[in-house]
Amino acid sequence: MTLQELLPKLFPAGNTVTVTDNIVSGEGRTASGAVSVIGTTNGTRLGIRELLALSRLFINVLRNHPGQPILMLVDNNGQKMALEDELLGLNQYIAHLVKLQDLARRNGHQVAALVYGNSIAGGFIAFGLCAGDTYALPDSNTSVMILPAIARVTKLPLEYLEELSKTVSVFAPGVKNFFLTGGLREVWDGNLNDCMDKSFCRDQSADTRDQLGAERGGRPEAAKIIREIMNA
Amino acid sequence: MNLQNIGCNYLEASARKRLEGILDPGSFRELCPPTEKRISPHLHYFDIPVAFDDGVVTGEGTLDGKTVAVIAQEGRFMGGAIGEVHSAKIVGLLRRCLAKKPDAVLFLFDSGGVRLQEANAGELGVAEIIRAILDVRAAGIRVFGLVGGSCGAYGGAGIITGCCDALAVSEEGRIGVSGPEVIETNMGVEVFDSRDRALVWRTFGGKNRYLQGQVRELVEDSMESFRQAAIRLLSLKPDYSLDQLEAEQKQLEERAEKFAGCRDAVDVWRKLGYPSPENIPSLTVAELKSEGGAK
Repeated sequence: MTLQELLPKLFPAGNTVTVTDNIVSGEGRTASGAVSVIGTTNGTRLGIRELLALSRLFINVLRNHPGQPILMLVDNNGQKMALEDELLGLNQYIAHLVKLQDLARRNGHQVAALVYGNSIAGGFIAFGLCAGDTYALPDSNTSVMILPAIARVTKLPLEYLEELSKTVSVFAPGVKNFFLTGGLREVWDGNLNDCMDKSFCRDQSADTRDQLGAERGGRPEAAKIIREIMNA
Repeated sequence: MNLQNIGCNYLEASARKRLEGILDPGSFRELCPPTEKRISPHLHYFDIPVAFDDGVVTGEGTLDGKTVAVIAQEGRFMGGAIGEVHSAKIVGLLRRCLAKKPDAVLFLFDSGGVRLQEANAGELGVAEIIRAILDVRAAGIRVFGLVGGSCGAYGGAGIITGCCDALAVSEEGRIGVSGPEVIETNMGVEVFDSRDRALVWRTFGGKNRYLQGQVRELVEDSMESFRQAAIRLLSLKPDYSLDQLEAEQKQLEERAEKFAGCRDAVDVWRKLGYPSPENIPSLTVAELKSEGGAK
């Protein structure tokens, strides 16, 4: 779904969202008040410039709109893979943005991320998976790496991986597979405004994705091992 | 040269040897040790031999008499890559800290990032580790990262380093997101030759990360140097606040502006004011620090 199609579905009462250099920002109106919208579009790759712009938007909400719910609109083709960005410490720019999302939640903002386009590799960690909760649209795409690239790195035949991906969810791209690991709270379908309103009523204080992964069968071991070590 | 350190380099040591060398003698107690045989439930699909610790050692000990929880990734198993069990052990240890309240957490990085055979579980595992680290920091417990292993800290592991309170890194300990091979593939071998070790070290290595302000302690590649640096880190105060993140925003904006257009670490170091930046790779840590004082 494009951003232009998505926004009126999320905010039937209207919004002031604008796009500058693929960075999405503004407010949406809902029955329960204003929602801060922070996002990216056109599958933009997240480099230093984009990460700093997104971080500034978070700082602005944290300083000037305490407690306002934040909806992150996610569409990226991963982190920027450029020498200039790596040279200056891209990892630190990503970590900085991630910490701001986390601190917003701790400071009383509801922080929900909705993947409406792509979300890939370091881009998914930078902007998506470190929100209070992560959601996706059914036709969106989440992946760590596409199968041909996995084939190259693991030196396994692509045909084998394609066949295996039909039954094994843990490595295969796609929203359905990622849902099974517990990484997505829900897939939003139907009335998106209702889905969003409901998500902002959830208690985001605990990370329960390990339990979701166990219930859904995508991560059979994680929850058990986490508990074992906590109680050892 | 300190003769005591011969044969004690950090780079080539195993994860358990590193813990032995960093922590107070005899203080380490492993949690979820290999005897528990918590192996990856996924690697058999790929005909890959499993490890009974899934490439990470977790436990508790003391450092200079202070209680610490420790995580040490084992680069010798699948490049320290993060899969389901690997990340669960780390998350479990971090959540345990909320009840046990150690003085600090030490995270000994040695990882190329997410394990592609378990890509979804590994990717989510990285996000869970970040969340758990920030839970620990929000509870006032400091988390320090040590980077000096042969796999460095790339991908998700590189991002996690940026979520720690502070880092101690050797020149050989590289930090980045996309690794040298990916940069070569994307930019062309004539721009970046991933087999050129000097180029890789000056781009991703500890010296560049230290000089640009990402790393608190630059250390020589020895067990004792890492131990002493970790002890110094223990004196830092916890701080995870909006004020601190605003200061970080300023620092990162200034760096982006000052070094815009730089395509080699030597250009970065020249702009920092070093009169002979091309000599920096051959300086010892002590020489580099005195050079910094003179510039």
